[in-house]
Amino acid sequence: MDMNPKFSGYAHPEALVDGDWLQQNLNAPGIRIVESNEDVLLYDTGHIPGAVHIDWRGDLQDNTVRDYVAPERFAEVCSKNGITPDTTVIFYGDKSNWWSSYALWAFRLFGHTKVKILDGGRDKWKAENRPFTREKPSYPRANYPVPPKRFDKEIRAFFDETLAHTQARKPLIDVRSPKEYTGELTHMPEYPQEGVLRGGHVPGARSVPWKIAANEDATFKPADELRKIYTQDLGLKPADNIIAYCRIGERSSHTWFVLTYLLGYSNVRNYDGSWTEWGNRVRSPIAKGEQPG
Amino acid sequence: MGAYPPNLTEIVDFFDALSGDEKRENLIAYADAAPACAPKTGERFDLEDVRKDEECTDTVGVFLRVDPATRAAHFRINLGPHVQTLTKAMTAILCKGLDGATPEQIMGMEQDFVPRIVGGQLIRVRSQTVYYILGRIKGVCKVWLNRERAIANGG
Repeated sequence: MDMNPKFSGYAHPEALVDGDWLQQNLNAPGIRIVESNEDVLLYDTGHIPGAVHIDWRGDLQDNTVRDYVAPERFAEVCSKNGITPDTTVIFYGDKSNWWSSYALWAFRLFGHTKVKILDGGRDKWKAENRPFTREKPSYPRANYPVPPKRFDKEIRAFFDETLAHTQARKPLIDVRSPKEYTGELTHMPEYPQEGVLRGGHVPGARSVPWKIAANEDATFKPADELRKIYTQDLGLKPADNIIAYCRIGERSSHTWFVLTYLLGYSNVRNYDGSWTEWGNRVRSPIAKGEQPG
Repeated sequence: MGAYPPNLTEIVDFFDALSGDEKRENLIAYADAAPACAPKTGERFDLEDVRKDEECTDTVGVFLRVDPATRAAHFRINLGPHVQTLTKAMTAILCKGLDGATPEQIMGMEQDFVPRIVGGQLIRVRSQTVYYILGRIKGVCKVWLNRERAIANGG
């Protein structure tokens, strides 16, 4: 089957699949379809046939330390879903693939590199009247080896690193909505407050909402449009040391995926502590208003 | 732990005894039933409150009718298509569980029953809208009680 012509413009076209391809390859060997959503019960209401559910919080996070699960736990999540290091994991989900991007990024943290995203995610699959089922698949247990390391240094930024970044005036991207950036809102539009004491942004961060990279049907914008946004207008160079953040790291995972896989930027990190850490942290500097500061 | 209307108590006790997976299955069954909670053609209400709030992803309409003789409240709730599944489930649960309770009973209810129904694993910051429908129901009851008080005072 021919590749979606839109994908050929991306730096890593192999990182995306479209609905036509996926529907014809639901039972292909060596792949596992993974749904990750914000709506915690959405998978149960119906999912792509053969897809398993990986919960961004229950499966990937350790909330006792606000970190990701231990490598042993990650290996168990994969093993119970029949995933090996050779399995190509195809992620999709709600909210224009926020959480599937986040899950993909978390898989990359543990060194799993065979990852793809369904362009348009769950919403487009549904809009195209493709099949859903409530039948939960069962796969033979795999034996995923415990990852020897986590790739935090490569693709994840922590508070201190982000602070150093702002002090050195290195590229920071705030992907939240404009009013969250200016400090007018301390919550996302249409969402409850997530416990942030201050509004504003990390000094020096440029406002580039995640949504600017997505079409209305939740697909990613074509490569030339993305290059205009990030390379031309924002002036980011492919080798720049870039940190993206939002409130808790899911929207910035979307932007991380765009920069890393679709535009081929080589040094992009996601600050998953994001505004819920930065906005509350004692002595962390903030800027307010429309200017980076 | 507060006292709940009898129908709701029955639902809470039922969910309390379920495992996590069973809770999920039953929440999906309730979510599937949410469209049936919408107003039916020809129904009349004492109060209608339809709006899109900042903290919810879509429009929610709450419709209240109170039986003048018994003060029993009856609710209909209309949900926009983008509300989360837990919100849909809670809508069906509350329409059934609060049916027949008085506005005063509803206003006096605490919301500590929600985790007993949903379970700790599914309650997260992003899922706080499970409390939203109850808030909207209480809001419409409060308006109804204020209006009744005003009428009694000759307003």
